Amino acid sequence: MSDAKYDAALDLLRRLDPSKTKANLQNVISLEPDLAENLLSSIDLPLTVMADPKAANREFLCCDYNRDMDSYRSPWSNDYFPQLPAADLEESPFPSAPLRELETLCNDSFDVYRDLYYEGGVSSVYLWDLDADTDFAGVALFKKSNVSSSSWDSIHVVEVTAQGNGDFNYKVTSTVILQLDAADAAAAAAMKLSGNLTRQTERDFRVDANSAEQTRIAHITNLGTLIEDTESQMRDMLETVYFEKTRDIFHQTKNSLAAKNESNKTAQEEVIKGLQNL
Amino acid sequence: MSESNFDSVISEIIFDTPAGEIQEVYNSLITLAGENAKDTILDVIEQYNVKNNIPIDVDGNLVILSENTKSGASRYTDAVRGVSFTVDHLSKKGLDVEPLQDAASQEECKKLHEQLTEYTAKNYPGDVTIAVNPIADSQKLEIIIISTKYNPANFWNGDWRSKYTYDASSNQISGSIDVHVHYYEDGNVSFKSNKTVESTPATDVVDAISQIEGEFEKSLDISFTELNEKQFKALRRRLPITRSKVNWGKAIGNYRLGKDAAEGL
Repeated sequence: MSDAKYDAALDLLRRLDPSKTKANLQNVISLEPDLAENLLSSIDLPLTVMADPKAANREFLCCDYNRDMDSYRSPWSNDYFPQLPAADLEESPFPSAPLRELETLCNDSFDVYRDLYYEGGVSSVYLWDLDADTDFAGVALFKKSNVSSSSWDSIHVVEVTAQGNGDFNYKVTSTVILQLDAADAAAAAAMKLSGNLTRQTERDFRVDANSAEQTRIAHITNLGTLIEDTESQMRDMLETVYFEKTRDIFHQTKNSLAAKNESNKTAQEEVIKGLQNL
Repeated sequence: MSESNFDSVISEIIFDTPAGEIQEVYNSLITLAGENAKDTILDVIEQYNVKNNIPIDVDGNLVILSENTKSGASRYTDAVRGVSFTVDHLSKKGLDVEPLQDAASQEECKKLHEQLTEYTAKNYPGDVTIAVNPIADSQKLEIIIISTKYNPANFWNGDWRSKYTYDASSNQISGSIDVHVHYYEDGNVSFKSNKTVESTPATDVVDAISQIEGEFEKSLDISFTELNEKQFKALRRRLPITRSKVNWGKAIGNYRLGKDAAEGL
């Protein structure tokens, strides 16, 4: 795989219809199969939902980060579904025991957050170990769909690394995939706003902790604060781009108000001219 | 990959491209698929240009391609300019330009073209191209209005395309309007809208078009507001119902206790 090909693939994918990213991604990979692994891990697709039969069918979210072969790990039971044969399961990725404790706490906390902001929907957090004991990475996922075909998917990929002296660096790459549809059968008109925006944030926090439990609480507080702030900023950004920016660009191709303003201006100028002539 | 699969992949990618970004997509496809794919890609771009009524620069004048202006294998005509030409579909330039022999309905087309130019000058701030073409063996005219505003330096492009058939024998007009805005700074956002225009009386063609397009524009403005007010707000709140940010940490479970208590659980 060459960098030029990877860049060309990314450039294509940010130009083609964002409501069909999955199909476009498959097409691009069919042109250059060597790009598959890199593209699948860097292009965010709408999240899919599965039910965990070992946790009263509670729903969880699926993405490339909790996938092993064709199965997905649930944050509730910590099992893969559809269930994997024991021999495969030995090779499957799981967080270490201490990290699984933090993962459980993250899932409980972000579930409260989801309820407060989304009033519905599904959330899931997955963590994985990094080389240093103190460090870890993970992803926090939220999905909300309306009865109509509108949907919000947010994907926050985090990396937490110790900087020494109790300082930790938190790096978050956030993507929101937002789709809104309005079909007006009576007017034979349809309208679709779809797409995704991405931003990266980085912040350092001090973790003052004397126990493993205190460290966990500090991490979830820092991660929660960072993701809450980022998601709020992204919501504002989406609102601006989807409802102001695209509308403004549309009116730069067609604008009957401009014509009215123009004729008002001409009428006004004539009145002024008339007054000046008095 | 088999040849037919390859062709359909190239075709799906190109037909999915915003009108102002064909050159960039062509470059990426050549990088991914190699120079050998060039002919296949250019064939699809020709189909794309005709289907999407892309304006072509013919001796300094912009003219619009359509199924109706195809004459022979690779030649196109323009009734208003009275020319026939071949096309370099990637650079969107007319080549091998010749005067048009059959000029039977040219005068009528020219007159309507002038009236439409006057109408679009007032209502279309973008780069406007208009086509009025006779439809062979009928009393019908094809009318196309393209208005574009491209700003790749700021990562956005906008397209308007309206396309009608005017039937002079019944004084009726029908057609469709397509709008597409692409915004791709820090992401990829697309706004698409289309409207089918059912058969409408048109004693004055330009008046009828002005009415249809004005109403469509107004309805889009209303849809934008409704999508924001209703659907977007229902997906994610700006702040929790408590109107303050989340109190993270050990006490976060209190929200649930509070909620359960409020629901009498």
